[in-house]
Amino acid sequence: MRTRLDACLRAVNEVLLGKEAQVRLALTCLLARGHLLVEDMPGMGKTTLSHTLAKVLGLEFQRIQFTSDLLPGDILGTSVFDKDSGQFVFHPGPIFAELVLADEINRATPKSQSALLEAMEEGQVTIEGATRPLPDPFFVIATQNPVSSGGTFALPESQLDRFLMRVSLGYPAKAAEKALLLGESRRDLLLRLEPLLEHDELRTIQDAVSQVRASDALVDYVLRLVEATRTQPQFAWGLSPRGSLALLAAARAWAFLDGRDYVIPEDVQAVLPTVVGHRLRERADATGHGGGALVQWLLREVPAL
Amino acid sequence: MSVKPGIPRNSLIWLLVAQVLVILPHLTHLPLWIIGLWLGCATWRIQIFRMRARYPRSWLKALLMIGAGFGVYFSRGSLVGLEAGVVLLIAAFILKLVEMSTRRDALVLIFLGFFAVVTSYLFEDSLLAGLYSLLPVTALLAAMIGLQQSSLVTRPWPTVRLAGSLLLQAVPLMLVLFLFFPRLPPLWSLPQAGDRGVTGLADHMAPGDIARLGRSPELAFRVSFDGDIPPREQLYWRAVTFERFDGRRWSQSYASHLPQEPEWQAVGEPLGYNVVMQPSGQPWLFALDVARVAPGQAQLMSDFHLQRRQPVNQPLMYQVTSWLDARREAVRAPESLGRSLQLPERGNPRARAWAMELRRSAQEPQAMVDALLKHFNRQPYHYTLEPPPVGDDIVDDFLFETRSGFCAHYAGAMTFVLRAAGIPARVVAGYQGGEVNPAGNYLSVHQFDAHAWVEYWVAERGWVSVDPTFQVAPERVEQGLEQALARERSFLADQPMSLLRYRDIGWVNTLRLRWDSLNYGWQRWVLNYQGEQQTQMLQRWLGKLDAQTLGLGLVAILGVLTAVLALFLFKPWRRETDPHQRLFRRFERLLARHGVHRNKGEGARSFAERAAATLPEQAPAILAFVRLYEAQRYAQLPGTTDELSHSLRQLRRALPWRLPKPAGRS
Repeated sequence: MRTRLDACLRAVNEVLLGKEAQVRLALTCLLARGHLLVEDMPGMGKTTLSHTLAKVLGLEFQRIQFTSDLLPGDILGTSVFDKDSGQFVFHPGPIFAELVLADEINRATPKSQSALLEAMEEGQVTIEGATRPLPDPFFVIATQNPVSSGGTFALPESQLDRFLMRVSLGYPAKAAEKALLLGESRRDLLLRLEPLLEHDELRTIQDAVSQVRASDALVDYVLRLVEATRTQPQFAWGLSPRGSLALLAAARAWAFLDGRDYVIPEDVQAVLPTVVGHRLRERADATGHGGGALVQWLLREVPAL
Repeated sequence: MSVKPGIPRNSLIWLLVAQVLVILPHLTHLPLWIIGLWLGCATWRIQIFRMRARYPRSWLKALLMIGAGFGVYFSRGSLVGLEAGVVLLIAAFILKLVEMSTRRDALVLIFLGFFAVVTSYLFEDSLLAGLYSLLPVTALLAAMIGLQQSSLVTRPWPTVRLAGSLLLQAVPLMLVLFLFFPRLPPLWSLPQAGDRGVTGLADHMAPGDIARLGRSPELAFRVSFDGDIPPREQLYWRAVTFERFDGRRWSQSYASHLPQEPEWQAVGEPLGYNVVMQPSGQPWLFALDVARVAPGQAQLMSDFHLQRRQPVNQPLMYQVTSWLDARREAVRAPESLGRSLQLPERGNPRARAWAMELRRSAQEPQAMVDALLKHFNRQPYHYTLEPPPVGDDIVDDFLFETRSGFCAHYAGAMTFVLRAAGIPARVVAGYQGGEVNPAGNYLSVHQFDAHAWVEYWVAERGWVSVDPTFQVAPERVEQGLEQALARERSFLADQPMSLLRYRDIGWVNTLRLRWDSLNYGWQRWVLNYQGEQQTQMLQRWLGKLDAQTLGLGLVAILGVLTAVLALFLFKPWRRETDPHQRLFRRFERLLARHGVHRNKGEGARSFAERAAATLPEQAPAILAFVRLYEAQRYAQLPGTTDELSHSLRQLRRALPWRLPKPAGRS
């Protein structure tokens, strides 16, 4: 099972060059049944990442381009009257895919945003009184551009909380970019990619991830981290229990990817910046972007053992 | 040169202030060039701080050092000895200023400063000096605090205030240590400062010696009587007797150094008193006849003077009991009588002739003495500290020509005449009288109270003291030297600064007496609080105890304190209860000894990997331990409990490092 996952990682890394850490985190997020928020400028490979992941894992891929006139119905789907049958027939929206890329999520109105976020949280959609389940492996990768904020609706903290992780891709290294420029078109590579994982296998893996052992000592460490965010003066607010659950789930998936069936503090530390960064704010800058410095403080000062 | 850790401004300021304060009391015995050296070095230092100058190069430093050495040699004639040593110390203390570039250097300078403060006590240990030394100590403490402060702290006052409060907080500890800390005898003897112990009686008496003392206002000793202070006429403080006369000067005979207690009988009431004497550089103590002190402190010599083994080089306190009316060697003629008849072969023929004449007219020795005294009384003798010069036959010239002189002349002449007439006699030197201080009800005896008188031996009465000066100038004995010299106004004429000269002015005198009383208290209760005094004091408070109990008690108190401190530091109640954790802490400490310290937020694995990178040879062992630790702590694998990990740890310990080799940071 692990070898299959390694193969998946390798395949993704062949397409998305020089981003091993982010790819690994994205896969971790998926294995932990969480959703991913990618924050970066346009053209950094956000779409490529999601597309490749979908392809390699054999997931059905859909992309929703969020704009300010996007309506919830455009995401969830609508019932359309069918002349032939004389009935309303439900036309599922793009959300009914296994891997959904919600591009530029902060451009849409809060109403449309919350439609997506609710679907992410519940795993099902209720339209016109009928509850429709979403596909089982259901993974949302939302992206947003942190730089141009004109005409955007920033996601409130409560909604950021719904994302298990927030990663940022960043510029590729020089060598990786050179390989990118010299190599084939990514689109061609994508087309040639074969799915490496069956749905069943993915589900098994996801189940196995939740079985990864987190000992008392480790949970204590997680609790110490959470406690620190709640008591230390530089934190505007502390982590929610959802936050601590997310941290443990992500750490489990990371440990699993690392080939272990138990979690060690290093796993928690590896996922801490991405899991916790978007959930924390500094007291001095409560409306700011995130708690990068706070996370560094947590890593440095909270006793790991 | 860069100013890496640097010395903060605050510290530098206080260091400079402290240097001035430390050097100031030493100025009386420092050559003047030291001031120039300090000014130069301080200016240089400030310029370095302002980055206007660079640190001296090593050749310049060597040059300065050699220069200072030569300076000391030329101004003090030596590089060893107390005074030269102190000058050298101060010079080093100053020179270090330009050399110091790191905090460590500054610390060296500060400690040197503390030492220099202590050396000033070698020259002056009065109350005022003691209080003054608080100033340099505070400044040094402030400099030390300044060193630990950020260079952003620029206001010097809070620093010195902190130093002052630290000093105040140390006062209780200081008192406890002062009271209880055992006084150890010095491990080496310190040479005395050159100008100390010089004023005072010498072991011989030449014309002019006592006159020189008569001009000195220095303190000789102070006495507190257990009861009332006896009248002045009885206060003849014996120091030493002179039995040998070589025609010019009187000196001690060797026999008087014999530690053989002479025969005497106590008569009358004993008189108890306590003497605190200033350093005299001589081994004898001052006491009224006939004295007895606690055994071990001093011994009564064959000529009734008290003598210690070592010279008195620091203030000494002793308790004496005297019998003023004791009969001395009255039972039988002592062996020393022969010495008391010794005269030079020739010289002073007129005095000898006159002595024979007197002897013939007065049959009894006592009548002879009376005749002599009457002679001094009736003839126009004159008491003065500035006698006219005499020729070779000093006794003849004095008795028949000049007829003016002071106690030494009268005592010397009388002894000579008595001996020439065949009556055993000797000159006793010491002090007479003293100044009563009503503020403290004690007696201060100054050098100008130095005196010489005569004692002669008569069968059945033993030694009898007689003072010929009393016949000439009774006011000398009854009222003191000042009155005796009232006519010639020569009392302390060359000591314009001495407050004793201004005894006539009421408030000055009161002030002087009070201050003297304060200093006396300081000397009695502080400087002399050692050895026996300490034991007595402690016994009064704590009951019977000897040095052993005291030592054991101190050790016990120290032990308790250490235990409390250890509890506070190690916090055994917060001991790790988890066996894995305890093992891991041990593992951590082991690696820490090899220079790899775990950061607070570092997990076991990352720590182990870092350690493995630092200590590559031990890498497998380190990683193996951590793998096991993780398996037990995080994977919670059963079976392999702490026994295994413990044995593994043992193995690890035995295997790669027995000797802590230098931490592998290349």
